[in-house]
Amino acid sequence: MTLALQPVFAAGGPVIPNFGGGSNCVVQNHQFCMSWFLDNFHSVFGPAIVQHIVLTLIAVGVGMPIAFGAAIFAYKQNWFETPFSLFAAFLYTIPSLALFELLVQVTGINRFTAEVGLVSYTLLILFRNTLTGLRGVPPATIEAAQAMGLTPRQTLLRVELPLATPAIMAGVRIATVTTISLATVAAYIGGGGLGALIFDAIQSGFKTEFVAAGALAILLAIVADILLVLLQRVITPWSRRRLQTT
Amino acid sequence: MVNRLISITDGDITIDGESVRKLELTQLRRRIGYVFQQIGLFPHMTIESNIGAVPRLLGWSKSRIRSRAGELLELVGLDPEGDLRRYPGEFSGGQQQRIGVARAMAADPPIMLMDEPFGAIDPIARERLQNDFLRLHRQVRKTVIFVTHDIDEAIKMGDRIAIMRDGHLVQLDSADRLLASPADDFVASFVGEDRGLKRLRVRKLDELELDPPAGDDSSASVSSDTTLHFALSRMLAEGTTRLNVVDGDTAVGSVSLGTITRLIAPPEDANGHLAADGTSGHPAAEGAGE
Repeated sequence: MTLALQPVFAAGGPVIPNFGGGSNCVVQNHQFCMSWFLDNFHSVFGPAIVQHIVLTLIAVGVGMPIAFGAAIFAYKQNWFETPFSLFAAFLYTIPSLALFELLVQVTGINRFTAEVGLVSYTLLILFRNTLTGLRGVPPATIEAAQAMGLTPRQTLLRVELPLATPAIMAGVRIATVTTISLATVAAYIGGGGLGALIFDAIQSGFKTEFVAAGALAILLAIVADILLVLLQRVITPWSRRRLQTT
Repeated sequence: MVNRLISITDGDITIDGESVRKLELTQLRRRIGYVFQQIGLFPHMTIESNIGAVPRLLGWSKSRIRSRAGELLELVGLDPEGDLRRYPGEFSGGQQQRIGVARAMAADPPIMLMDEPFGAIDPIARERLQNDFLRLHRQVRKTVIFVTHDIDEAIKMGDRIAIMRDGHLVQLDSADRLLASPADDFVASFVGEDRGLKRLRVRKLDELELDPPAGDDSSASVSSDTTLHFALSRMLAEGTTRLNVVDGDTAVGSVSLGTITRLIAPPEDANGHLAADGTSGHPAAEGAGE
């Protein structure tokens, strides 16, 4: 995924410029042509970015409830942890291209197949972090909640889940960044997004498109991570407020 | 067991004649204020929300919860203005336990259950918390069940002290009775070899039959509401065997060393008490456990 930036074509000779009447930079296929990038941002990169974001949002948006539900169930029923962990870890360890290739045989080359693959990669991280977060809630806090007469459901919603939020959010951050990066590979099976531009560029040898799409994917991941950090600060105001002197 | 965090395997506990086994769990717990050593404040909630947790369950209005939280913070010696919006992590252990006490009292439960509440707090802060809680208790008049492993704390805080050993009740008495006539060797060793001296701390001069004032102006005087312990230490410090006792400015009598020593001497019924209990006669060493 991250090797998208490697100058794969640097050593090659002039590539046949089939971009019809482009600038000198494009004709000579320089590493990066800013003017072409700016000219085509609106028509090529903009839609690809939107598609990439949608692809990621759906993957995390579907993966989260599944992993979240599984983690809460495993928190209450310990036996469930091992089978679900194994299942999620198994999915996680399959090389992405291999998994996508396998899925294509079942569901064909389309967005759905891409999403199935991406969702399956989010499960392990989201499950683990949610469960770890829940288990990290101080026993004394839970005891206090019970002693006050909170029902198990109220304890979960008002005490355990809020306190697990930092760990859950950490999982969401990792899952989101991973998915943004994996989604470029998912273009191989019809996921679209920035990955489609990268595959295009690999076939045509057009360096500007390749560099730009790769850089945008990285930028997208960084921006998403920053936004999630900000979100976490807003929803867990208590985690930053600590006694200064001990 | 009282609030059924641990379920009852045998026997029963009744509150106002009602068995806790028959009460609905959440209802029972909301009527018992619970304070324990680990405090267990909710780190993600402001102090106001922490104190308001049970009232919220009971459906109190926001404004009522707010004013109640402020009132309680003041009662436990914190700032009702600024501290309500802060989070538990911003407070020291002693302050957190004050908040814990305030939280337990939020819905004005008739009973408070305090399980080693000051156990994890440094001695100086603990002393202050004990004194503050004693004062608080005189104001709020609740039934408090206070669990401690510290006999001095029990003597200081308790009206009646129950000594438990291996899950059995060994003795239930006032601090004075407990120190004067321990039920068995276990209790005797638990309250300590110096139980005579400890007794002096729970007795005050105004509980004694005083001798007439010594008349001699040169002799030192103590207030009638001081403990015998303090009076004795004054005697030792002044090198005298008799102190004048005053109430405000008026002399009310005098106390002699002999009066105090007679009190420490074991009362007549100590042996009868020993025989009444099945565990008596065991060697003192066996009583080392709690």
